[in-house]
Amino acid sequence: MKLILSDKAINISLPPKSDIVHFDLSSLNIAQCKGCFGCWTKTPGRCVIRDDATKVYPLIAQSDQVLYISHLKYGGYDSIMKTMLERAIPIQQAFIRIFQGETHHVQRAVTAKHATIIGYGDLAEEEKEIFKRLIARNANNMSFSSYKILFISESDIDYTVKKIIEEWGK
Amino acid sequence: MGKIMILNGSPRASQSNSRRYAELFMKFCSSETAYFNITKNNHEELCAKMEAYSDVLFIFPLYADALPVTLLNFLKSLEVASLKKKPVISIFINCGFLEYQQNEIAVEMMRYFCRQNQYRTGSVLMLGSGEAILKTPFRFVAQRAIKKLAKSMAEEHYLEIHATMPLSKRMFLIASTYYWILYGKKFGTSKSAMGTMKIE
Repeated sequence: MKLILSDKAINISLPPKSDIVHFDLSSLNIAQCKGCFGCWTKTPGRCVIRDDATKVYPLIAQSDQVLYISHLKYGGYDSIMKTMLERAIPIQQAFIRIFQGETHHVQRAVTAKHATIIGYGDLAEEEKEIFKRLIARNANNMSFSSYKILFISESDIDYTVKKIIEEWGK
Repeated sequence: MGKIMILNGSPRASQSNSRRYAELFMKFCSSETAYFNITKNNHEELCAKMEAYSDVLFIFPLYADALPVTLLNFLKSLEVASLKKKPVISIFINCGFLEYQQNEIAVEMMRYFCRQNQYRTGSVLMLGSGEAILKTPFRFVAQRAIKKLAKSMAEEHYLEIHATMPLSKRMFLIASTYYWILYGKKFGTSKSAMGTMKIE
């Protein structure tokens, strides 16, 4: 399956009978991670906060293609997307493995995925460089087998997403 | 001598390792210090207090390879507050991985914030194996690094410091597995339950 997470409403129509799911995170009720480690040690694989994030992270795990669309801040995801990504840790175990020569968490049933990340906003070159390094690191922790980063202006989001969905359909 | 404001950016705040690190910092620091948790609702209050300090030390954990949202949201408030008298900002970040270098991108984000908002960056301490180190015989490694951080800030001779457990990756893997098994046991959760592949 394919998953689109956006931090704002986007004007797209999904092809009929497609395996694409879209969540506008700004319309969901997602609290901040409390850092309680409950999803690792009390109810493994399940977040103790039973809000809308529990609908999203299982689909992050199942998807083989993801498209994340987020405003960027200080070279990272802005608050809405970052809140969701922090709440996705139930898809990992507490236990550590050695991956690409570094220590990382063991993944639960997480499909390897191709990720397309759209960062938008008024972005300085320096901020883009930090973001590229962040995504390279995320790739190791979020099971990206490959990834592509696009920096665009906010006004180009709908058009760019439409093009990516068309590519997915080919 | 300056005054240091310590801001804990961990979502766990009062229960956090960052609080324990802050306590050690205060114990070792010869300057006057004051400690505050960052919460959802106290940004304005903390920003107003900040002008009374020569230095601010942000202590926080690495979350999803970057700054935790608790801290990110505070920085956005601080940007808007546009202080007239800006303290020097120092950074103390810890991650649960062995490699302290996994903190580097979050530190770059902090530095970027400082440059964009005309804050001078002071000392930086990057700690690896930060989830468990204080509960192990390697506690002294963290303590030594925190002492160095405290001295550098008190003397305004700012430094970049890093530390982690002196273990091979394989040994760390074994030690961390043991740590998490004991952690799960507190809640009656077995190793195999913690290792489930099921999600939700």
